[in-house]
Amino acid sequence: MKFIGGKRLNRRTLLRGAAAGGLVSLALPPLEAMFGSRGALAKADGLPPMFGLFYWANGMPWHAGHGALQGEGAHPDLWTPSQVGPDYTPTELLAPLAPYSPSVATGLEPHTDIPPDPPGQGDGHMRGFMVATTGDRIRPRGFDHPSHTLTALRPTMDQYVAKHDAYYGSAIPRFRSLQLGVSTARFHDYGHWNAISYNGPDSLNLPVSDPAQLYNLLFDVPDDASTLERRANLLDAVIEDAADLRAKLGAADKVRLDAHLAHLDEIQRRLELAAAPCDAPLFPAQSEDLHVKTGIMADMLAVALSCDLTRVFSFMLTSPATTHVFSNLGVPDGMHKTCHDGEWERVRAITQYQMEAFAILLDRLSTTLDPTGASLLDNGLVFGTSEYGEGWQHGTKELPALLVGGACGAVNRGVHVREPDGNFSKVHVTTLRALGIDTDSYGFNGGETTEHLTGILA
Amino acid sequence: MLAKRAWLWLLAGVLTSACGNDNARGGGGETDGGSDGSDGDSGSDEDGSSGDGDSFEFDPAPAVLPRLTALQYRNSLEALLGEGLPVVAVEPDTNPYLFFSIGATSTTLSEFGVQMYEEAAESVSAAVFEDETRRVDLVGCTPSAPGDACVEAFIASFGRRAFRRPLSGVEQARWLGAATDLADGDPWLGVQMAVAGMLQSPYFLYRVELGEPDPDDASRLRYTSFDMASRMSFLLWNTTPDDALLDAAEAGELLDDEGLVAHAERLVEDPRARGAAQDFFAQYFDLGRLDGVTRDPSVYPLFSDTLPEAMRNEAMLLVDDFVFRRDADIRGLYSTRTTFVNDGLAALYGLEAPGATSVAFVPVELPEDGPRAGMLTFSAFLTMNAHETENSPTLRGKYVRERVLCQPVPPPPDDVDTSIPADTGEGKTLRERLEAHRENPECAACHAFIDPPGFLFENFDPVGSYRTLDNGYPIDASGDLDGEALADARGLADLLGQDSRVGQCIVTQLFRHSTGRLEEASELAALVDLDAQFEARGYRFRELLTMLVAHPSFRTVGVAQ
Repeated sequence: MKFIGGKRLNRRTLLRGAAAGGLVSLALPPLEAMFGSRGALAKADGLPPMFGLFYWANGMPWHAGHGALQGEGAHPDLWTPSQVGPDYTPTELLAPLAPYSPSVATGLEPHTDIPPDPPGQGDGHMRGFMVATTGDRIRPRGFDHPSHTLTALRPTMDQYVAKHDAYYGSAIPRFRSLQLGVSTARFHDYGHWNAISYNGPDSLNLPVSDPAQLYNLLFDVPDDASTLERRANLLDAVIEDAADLRAKLGAADKVRLDAHLAHLDEIQRRLELAAAPCDAPLFPAQSEDLHVKTGIMADMLAVALSCDLTRVFSFMLTSPATTHVFSNLGVPDGMHKTCHDGEWERVRAITQYQMEAFAILLDRLSTTLDPTGASLLDNGLVFGTSEYGEGWQHGTKELPALLVGGACGAVNRGVHVREPDGNFSKVHVTTLRALGIDTDSYGFNGGETTEHLTGILA
Repeated sequence: MLAKRAWLWLLAGVLTSACGNDNARGGGGETDGGSDGSDGDSGSDEDGSSGDGDSFEFDPAPAVLPRLTALQYRNSLEALLGEGLPVVAVEPDTNPYLFFSIGATSTTLSEFGVQMYEEAAESVSAAVFEDETRRVDLVGCTPSAPGDACVEAFIASFGRRAFRRPLSGVEQARWLGAATDLADGDPWLGVQMAVAGMLQSPYFLYRVELGEPDPDDASRLRYTSFDMASRMSFLLWNTTPDDALLDAAEAGELLDDEGLVAHAERLVEDPRARGAAQDFFAQYFDLGRLDGVTRDPSVYPLFSDTLPEAMRNEAMLLVDDFVFRRDADIRGLYSTRTTFVNDGLAALYGLEAPGATSVAFVPVELPEDGPRAGMLTFSAFLTMNAHETENSPTLRGKYVRERVLCQPVPPPPDDVDTSIPADTGEGKTLRERLEAHRENPECAACHAFIDPPGFLFENFDPVGSYRTLDNGYPIDASGDLDGEALADARGLADLLGQDSRVGQCIVTQLFRHSTGRLEEASELAALVDLDAQFEARGYRFRELLTMLVAHPSFRTVGVAQ
């Protein structure tokens, strides 16, 4: 059995031996000694750039680039810069992000095929969302109407990176990744729609969207080492029970239980770690205002990243097809319906507001320094995307992609690359290569590509 | 009866075939199965006998592995450790196909979810064992040394309650070992750790009901006596079995009709059954969608932030009245003229309700000549199937089709313009704008199926207030259901209150809820048998619960491929 017996006992024994030998009893401030400097040296140290996935709902206001029907209203394209290459002039909707020099790829769209059965797999929300975050289709089975079960075939980019051997290697921080959310509105109650981070089919990582819960997760760690060790040891018996059960299960439930076992392993590892050397911020306030709440969550995230509690995060501002009511902008209906109703001006105002929220997150990442003295954003990469090009007709053309941050010098900042009808997975290839993950090809089921965005990858 | 049910589903298939597949019976094969059944008349008895269930043939689906729902987890902690435990967070449920139980068999727990279980187990066990009275009450003796006889006996008894079956020898040794090795010299601490560990074991967190060879039928398995204790307890009480039920399981009493019916009746009489039934109906009605409801108070002055909760309470009180107080024909939910209101709902409905306050609900009779009759004219349904600023006859009609009649509505075709033509100031009602939309033949096929029952509710605005004008123009609230013309929502109420499809739909939904999965085509005959028994017993839901517990479809399990 994989999870018990020699191998894991050896690992745990080794860890305890290391602890006894003083390896983890470094006095503060240990971080520079532990991590070395990042920037140019980061790769030499084997420490990967921070990676974040930022998600906002319902794309952007539609224009002729999305299709003939969308062009009938003669609405301007407020997203796509008129120049390509470096030093483009930010457009109205990119202006809030301009201080952080985002690189932007436009014209891209899903290239995955759309099986006819069961019907509905071309739905923009689901197809666009899955292509943007996984490079693959939605899972056809379980898609069934009316359940509308949205589920991924494979890990979303945050999980793909966090679990890739080439990313963390053996230097796994306290959390492989964190999932944060801001708005709690969701398209409907069933079939998921309240998460953007997946491990695979029907395996979601729900975002933590309660600031107090995030605070407790990150900073309220008991510091009684003997209690933590006892709790870690207790999991050995739990794991043995799980291993017994595993042998009795059918294939599908084995997969579910294996995930549970892997998580137990991870929790045990976390319990064995000493409390993180991190100066906890003040206990967070609560707010229903999306901008204020974005700041609250981003503040804690920035501390967690600067303390190396994790290097990967997802940040769901709003969920796919969100029903969030932007009453602060004078919009009386949920956003999904507002899109359906063709309320262009309102969708414009909401999209601008969402970009301003993205800027709040980027502000925290650019003003927080990592242990080397560089900003989190200089040494990291945030991939910002949405679920389709526009929400009125759920058109997936011009699916937005932003790559913000320097990734330790691997990404050229402030570049506009335009490839009309291009394969969206070029963004994934670019992202993965920038993070030091060798990637021959990415994209699936018709969405495969070997190419990155040449202007953006340094 | 088989022929009749199959015919109904075929009819539904015909009605929707213009716009897609009818998959009401889960999986693609049900239409074929239905026509085979109606042609072959495979031994179904025409008088709809209620009793022994083996006069029909079906093949049960293989076992599933449900994780406890959040409510089942909390209820089970209280059953095991007593009330007054610290509040603990667990991973939220998901409800594909409406039911948490289906999410519980299909969704994989996240890493954070496992961490929350670990922290919850630590928190509740510490709370119990820090309290001297409490720990002695729980353990029943005072251990004098780690792993002594007192501890050993407690591990066996607590293990049986937590895992819903006796521990195996290996398990007894494992958890006694934990209680000994982790005691750090303090026997109480050792027991506390063992409790915290068993509460994280997959044997507690998942319902492991895998069956055993069925002596009557080698082609399938039957659930063990302990499996049945777990199945009936979680269905009827939403919590782990009590000691009496585990004793009955141990005595092998849960393997035959007599024992199952006797124990099911005992459980249904218990107050816990009321909460469990409400939990089922809340999911079947899809009331979770009320949680996110917002309305602009300047447009809807009768709406308040507390009104959605009142709507939910109204529905739950109705369920309780029909199932437990009156034991009445459950289809009456859709035609009742009695309901329960607090002050906010009374104002919304324009009723006098002496004694009603914000928290006190009182029974009221709806006026004979008023516009309301049945659940679908109450504000929960009307509100959750409307948008923030306007009605949605489509959502309301879809609810009637999918939720009340179990007729699936396929998704709109890809790349079709699904927006409703904007109000261009030409003085049209929403209905008129929607009817224009249906001129598109791609849309018409489905919307002719969905919208006509939805139009019946046009006299009720997005919070359920009665109105006679839309956009300043008189409302036409006539409609039809499958060609039968109806003047308004009351006409639909009269029809649904006596419609056998409503009963069949409740059978289907209860079957899904109780098994944690969609029915398989091979199980159609079992559902048809339940339909007949339900009808024969006057569509009384309590009867359906006990009948299901003893039904072969709930007691047998297929062999995994």
